[in-house]
Amino acid sequence: MSTDSLTAGKASRRKSSHAAKPGPQSPENAPRRRKGLSERNRPLWMLIPGGLLMVIIIVVPLLLGIFMSGLDLDQYSLRKWVSAPFIGVQNFVEALTASPLLHAIWLSVSYSLLAMVVTIPLGIAGAVATQNAFKGRAVIRSIFLIPYVLPSFVVATVWRTMFQPGSVIDSALHSVGIDPGLWLNGPQSFWTLILVQIWASWPFVYLLALSGLQSVDHEVHEASALDGALWWNKLRYVVFPYLKGPLALAFLIGMLHHINNFTLPFVLFGVPAPSDVELLPILTYVTSFQSFRFGLSAAMAFISLILIAIPLFVYLRAVKLDDSETPGGKK
Amino acid sequence: MSTATTAVGRRSGEDFRPGSKRQHEVTRLMPGPMLAIILTLLCALVLIPVAYIFLASVNSDIGVARGEFLPSTFSFENYTKIWTSVGLATGLANSVLVAGSTAVVSALMSIATAYVLVRYQFRGRLTILRGLLALQSVPGTLMVLPVFVLFSSAASYLGIQVIGTQWGLFVTYLTFAMPFSTWVMVTYLRGLPRELEEAARIDGASNLGVLVRIILPLSWPGVVVSGIFAFLLGWNDVLFASVMTRPESQTAAVALQVFGASQEGGAIPFYGQMMAASLVCAAPVVILYLIFQRYLVGGLTAGGVK
Repeated sequence: MSTDSLTAGKASRRKSSHAAKPGPQSPENAPRRRKGLSERNRPLWMLIPGGLLMVIIIVVPLLLGIFMSGLDLDQYSLRKWVSAPFIGVQNFVEALTASPLLHAIWLSVSYSLLAMVVTIPLGIAGAVATQNAFKGRAVIRSIFLIPYVLPSFVVATVWRTMFQPGSVIDSALHSVGIDPGLWLNGPQSFWTLILVQIWASWPFVYLLALSGLQSVDHEVHEASALDGALWWNKLRYVVFPYLKGPLALAFLIGMLHHINNFTLPFVLFGVPAPSDVELLPILTYVTSFQSFRFGLSAAMAFISLILIAIPLFVYLRAVKLDDSETPGGKK
Repeated sequence: MSTATTAVGRRSGEDFRPGSKRQHEVTRLMPGPMLAIILTLLCALVLIPVAYIFLASVNSDIGVARGEFLPSTFSFENYTKIWTSVGLATGLANSVLVAGSTAVVSALMSIATAYVLVRYQFRGRLTILRGLLALQSVPGTLMVLPVFVLFSSAASYLGIQVIGTQWGLFVTYLTFAMPFSTWVMVTYLRGLPRELEEAARIDGASNLGVLVRIILPLSWPGVVVSGIFAFLLGWNDVLFASVMTRPESQTAAVALQVFGASQEGGAIPFYGQMMAASLVCAAPVVILYLIFQRYLVGGLTAGGVK
């Protein structure tokens, strides 16, 4: 994904930093000739406050969580969790065989994918429609982002009210002769969740698609106008290729965000959630704070981390970490 | 991955010379009627639920339960009730306190971290950058239990009571806001020229002096963006707040969630109050966003995670 933005000169520098990755930060990577400001007197202490905080509140708990996944931990042993009995991989075995975890993984992944499948066309449509200047475009762009900026708990509370039996959505559907059944319980709740998630997250795809459209050079527009390309062909063969990168990014981040999304299903359905929307984060939460099976929950969380790691790994590979301007070196 | 740089770098070139009709024709992507249809549909999709929040908040509970879109009765009394019934007065005060201090501290810490990461070469730099991205995606549900255990251990071993206070939330939000805020600052600081810093150094400024007197004033749009994202993280969180607060330290998000959940199974739920409280909780976020929209949109695509 990064290649399209790299000029030849940058590419070679990228390569060298890539090559240096196995033995990271090898000294030859640093600019040897300029041992100026950036070598002497580096204020590395400025990293300490943030670094310390992240180590204490993220890294330590992460390790703690992995350790806890091997303990038989309930509400009685939690206070003295250090002395709780160590039971090895039993929590993992129970999570994978005797708990709804696999079902939850399946639900989480399929809901994330289904929501992405709809948000991507919506986002592209929104971006294409607001790419050209017209009167009121600024207002429309602001409107498009409203669902994205509304807090998830507000979005969920509002849709929960609208989906109540007999409430506004039901009465609207009744007036056209449809009896929709229950939205917040039973098998249909899965689709309710997808609908609300689509509503809340299509503007993110829209934003990234818009940034992709803006990277289309004016010359490209001129060339296709000269060739007399019809609008559909122009979109399909000229403009869409520019969107591949941003949309791939939107897909990855969207998937990560959907799989991790706790607030929306939690507020929309409450806990205990109907089994059709017992997603991974909800299940982990309920196992901890409703059934008090802390060890089991830690094992579930660990398994979900592995699941997250797949898109995350792709994302980290694709992202351009460093700018063309290497620190220490002046252009 | 070029979005990070394009979003920040290209903001100025966004419009193609407005007013020139020919340019407009050339860059056009779709026939006019088609555009109109798409725009109408998408605006309706967004605005109908948003309008409903307001309409239901001034409606009677029975009216909402009957499925009215336009209210048959009209009163603003829900907006006076929610402060005590939902507990929104304490909730909002706590939210402002926690999210606001998170925003300020996180912005200041992230600019220092980002400055070092952008301007200096050292061992582990790329690992830290990669780590910043990775940490943004660590699921909250994975962290909430161990953080809870860590904090309760702090109470039993060190005698520091963190659970149930605003401090616990503040520290947690601050930490989880740092990766994203730092990443936003990293992308912002890359765009700043070095010459001013070098001039200041020649005049004898220290590292801290350069940061405070040169970098900070130059990068306030970035600081605002990273601060706002930290604020939103604290404002929007339900997961940590639902586990680590007591009623008196509850944030607005939890207050609303608890109120909504407690309406189950009684007579007619207080829908009007729920909608009024939703609107009040959403208002600060939407206002912040409208004021700083230009900067925020660039920041959103830069870090890429909500």
